[in-house]
Amino acid sequence: MSRLASAALAAALTFSLGSGAALAATEIEMFFPVPVEGKLAKEMKNLVDRFNAEHPDIKATAVYTGSYDETNIKTRAAIKAGRPPAAVIMSANFVLEYQINDEIQPLDPLVEADGQTPDAYMSQFWPALHGNARFAEKIWAVPFHNSTPLLYYNADHFREVGLDPANPPATWAEWVDAAKKLTVRDGDSIKRYGLMIPGNYDYLGWIMTALTMSNGGLYYNPAFGGEVYYDTPSMLGALTLVDDLVRKHKVMPSGVTDGKAVSTGFFAGQASMVLLSTGSLSFIRENMKSDYGVAFVPRNLRNAVAIGGASLIMPKGLSPERQKASWTLIKWLTAPGVSGEWSRFTGYFAPNKGAYDLPEMKTFIAKNPDAKVAIDQLQYAQSWFATYNTVAVRKALEDEVQAVLSGKKLPAEALKAAQTKADEVMRPYVEQTALRLPQ
Amino acid sequence: MRRTDPSALLALAALSAVVLVCSTPLLWMAVASFRPQNFGGLDMAALWPDFMPTLANFAEALDSANFPLLYLNTVIVCAGTLGVQLVTVTLAGYAFARLRFPGKELVFYAFLLQLMLVPPILIVPNLVTISRLGLYDNLIGVMAPYFASAFGVFLMRQTFRTIPKDFEEAAIVDGANWWQLVWRVLIPLARPGMIAFGIVSVVSHWNEFLWPLMVISSPDNQTLTIGLASFTRGAESASQWGVIAAGTFLVAAPLLLAFALFQRQFVNSFLFSGVK
Amino acid sequence: MVAEAEGHAVATDTRRSVRAVSARGRAEALRAAMLLVPSLVFLAAFTYWPIGQVLVQSFTIETFGSKDVTFGSGNFERLLADASFARALVNNIVYALGTIVPSVVIALALAVGLQDATRFNAALRTVVFFPVLLPLVAAAALFMFVFLPGIGLLDYYLGKLGADNTNWLGDPDLALWSLIAITVWKNAGYYMLFFLAGLQSIPLDLYEAARIEGAGPWVRFRRITLPLLGPTTAFVLVIALVNVITQVDHVVVLTEGGPSDATNLLLFYIYQQAHENYDYGKAAAATVLSVAGLLALSFLSLRTLERGIHYEA
Repeated sequence: MSRLASAALAAALTFSLGSGAALAATEIEMFFPVPVEGKLAKEMKNLVDRFNAEHPDIKATAVYTGSYDETNIKTRAAIKAGRPPAAVIMSANFVLEYQINDEIQPLDPLVEADGQTPDAYMSQFWPALHGNARFAEKIWAVPFHNSTPLLYYNADHFREVGLDPANPPATWAEWVDAAKKLTVRDGDSIKRYGLMIPGNYDYLGWIMTALTMSNGGLYYNPAFGGEVYYDTPSMLGALTLVDDLVRKHKVMPSGVTDGKAVSTGFFAGQASMVLLSTGSLSFIRENMKSDYGVAFVPRNLRNAVAIGGASLIMPKGLSPERQKASWTLIKWLTAPGVSGEWSRFTGYFAPNKGAYDLPEMKTFIAKNPDAKVAIDQLQYAQSWFATYNTVAVRKALEDEVQAVLSGKKLPAEALKAAQTKADEVMRPYVEQTALRLPQ
Repeated sequence: MRRTDPSALLALAALSAVVLVCSTPLLWMAVASFRPQNFGGLDMAALWPDFMPTLANFAEALDSANFPLLYLNTVIVCAGTLGVQLVTVTLAGYAFARLRFPGKELVFYAFLLQLMLVPPILIVPNLVTISRLGLYDNLIGVMAPYFASAFGVFLMRQTFRTIPKDFEEAAIVDGANWWQLVWRVLIPLARPGMIAFGIVSVVSHWNEFLWPLMVISSPDNQTLTIGLASFTRGAESASQWGVIAAGTFLVAAPLLLAFALFQRQFVNSFLFSGVK
Repeated sequence: MVAEAEGHAVATDTRRSVRAVSARGRAEALRAAMLLVPSLVFLAAFTYWPIGQVLVQSFTIETFGSKDVTFGSGNFERLLADASFARALVNNIVYALGTIVPSVVIALALAVGLQDATRFNAALRTVVFFPVLLPLVAAAALFMFVFLPGIGLLDYYLGKLGADNTNWLGDPDLALWSLIAITVWKNAGYYMLFFLAGLQSIPLDLYEAARIEGAGPWVRFRRITLPLLGPTTAFVLVIALVNVITQVDHVVVLTEGGPSDATNLLLFYIYQQAHENYDYGKAAAATVLSVAGLLALSFLSLRTLERGIHYEA
């Protein structure tokens, strides 16, 4: 074949292949964990199918990837294997670490390409959620679903002991008092606990954050991932409260009670009050046989809790087409309509403020006033604790709190040990940042 | 005819006690899967069915994941893995049991190394390898790391070693060559070991969770355990024990059936009744 | 001349047979190599390559914030100074003793007791083996329920006998033992399988002969069954030992090493270091030590047990 002819052939092939590729849909995959029971995996698939129908040039697949932790492992492994997913629904407090390790894409360029400023974009989400999404001067994540801890209480039990279900305890003093009244004893053993709180890793840290913040504390430095405030009066007060509830007032079980055991206990009438996530709200609403109520986490010095939940992040290493497709998916999933839908389905609250202006949501809240409590508590919510090596730093505290719950340690010494351990874990980071001084 | 001595009765009683304790959690699961969801009861643990049985839990479990597809994928993974494994472990097991060669012990321990390596460390390197081989998000990628099985080699080595050499010598005298020896004499005699290995391999890959989770990304390639996990776990929520129990039965039932059939096979093995 | 010729012939014969023997040796070695190659190919890709990486990683010291790495024993030093590692090691030893002995003994008893091919036995064997068939995801949920304080299966029935609520998984003094119970429950049926397979190769006429001589069941067990089950027992013990180190799924799902490291086991510690703390150096160092320890223990047990074993000649 002559050179000209073969060049022409090559050009023709490339041209046809190229235009063929432009016609084919961009394929993207999104990893998602299922943090609460229910047919969430199925619902997510339905949502993504709808998205695909509305966007013929994109073919998105929703991939169930286990728990928050497993999703984290799989995402990192996939990134290392050179196959980053286009989007991941990641626990909100892991986002900082991905940013520190330079594994995710800042979203500002995509926001600006749409013609918006980052400020304007973020303003559609509740202020409490900004801390975990936007830091180091860039937007790293878009909130997908969020929660706060709530005080669930058994209204029937309340009435039984002469408490008013319409006036749940709002301060620690009222809380302890109510718990004492609600606890049913039989000699030395306890037949019904006044209060139960989850004691397993991750949940416990979250609850402790809420209690410490309600006691005026900060828990961690939101501006710098190398400092936590464990050995402080605010946390000491919170931990002593917990210790007293078990040992002095004897209204809470000793040892670690897993989150599942807490919710099962609530259903079975074994516990009159529990501190659980809003994420359990839909499930409790559908399955609780007794009358129940929800309230803010009681305060000592102020009303304050930490948010929980997950956000959408975009790993680095995606081609421009996949980035754009991923961004379209992210925007669609976090728009008021879809955000509200997912919220009604799961019990998480919708991060997008606009969701609450829509008629479907207003009707829903009118019918289910308990859903409003989490929203109302949002004005007192702060960002979720995230530092360098978040899990290890959190575990340093949780191990000590668990020891206190089991009666093995006293609060003061536990917190000192926790602080020392946490500082040790963060030392490599601190040495390269705050303690790195000009020579 | 056996005389019933008292020690035999005692043994029977002890055995029954063990079996009872073993089976109580499972009995509970069987009961729970038919129990209508009720969280109002402090007697959730009651074994005696005191309710109208319902299939609602099974319905919900079936609705939560595409079970037929999951079954198919899982069967493919287990059958594929076992197929290749039987070849590699029989060959290698024979080599260690019957052949002499320099460095044999060293190589054997090198094989055993595979047993001792722990998955968390293996995830990233193996995922990178799978990806480079183009097997990412592919059922073969799930199977590949297991095609060599140190466990199988270990088991087959020991199985072959317990076969008396007389059988082999008789066959050689009859003029069999090496290949016929292995195929017609040794492998049939090693059946109990191979079936045991088959059971272990299938069960372990049927129930495997973490590695398939890492390799597979398309929902069309997911296996049973991943499907089960998608509706039985939750970080911040309450639990539907009935649906979990029903889902678990859906996953375990085929295995149970297969085991019930197969175990009679190898226990009934005629093997060494002393007859040559 | 004939004698010389004969002598020469003999000498040639000897040389020929010596060459034949070594030729046979080479042929055998070659055959062995061919038989081992299929396995070795996969082992190379999925076992030895990662091991190499782990070894290198264990001696690699990274600094935060830069790509520079140095090489040294720093990871090992930090590992040995970590209280959680020490605790995991101690826990694992307790766990090993608590699971291996009961599960192997029970497995043996079950295999011997249920070896006859009756329908009843077959049913019982299936029941006993069922725990092995459960996927861990489900077994964990099941045991979460079994161990729920107060309303869980265990406490519910113990409560009927008058016992108090016990926090089986949440009490640091009990948690490890609860996990041990789960492991024995799950593994007894598994090891029973191997004992059953091993029992198949014991010739029945040995038992007949013993019975004719008037030996009772216990004597028959001690004199015939046990010794001839030697190789199987060696195998089961090594597998059990390996499982003790490598099976930690129940820890991952039920207790996550808690409360306060009470159920932290070596492999779970490695899992944490790798996937929660992103401290790959320490994880690799811990892996190297665990694997080395396991290899040593396996070597010792196989050596001791297989030396005294009588293989049917």
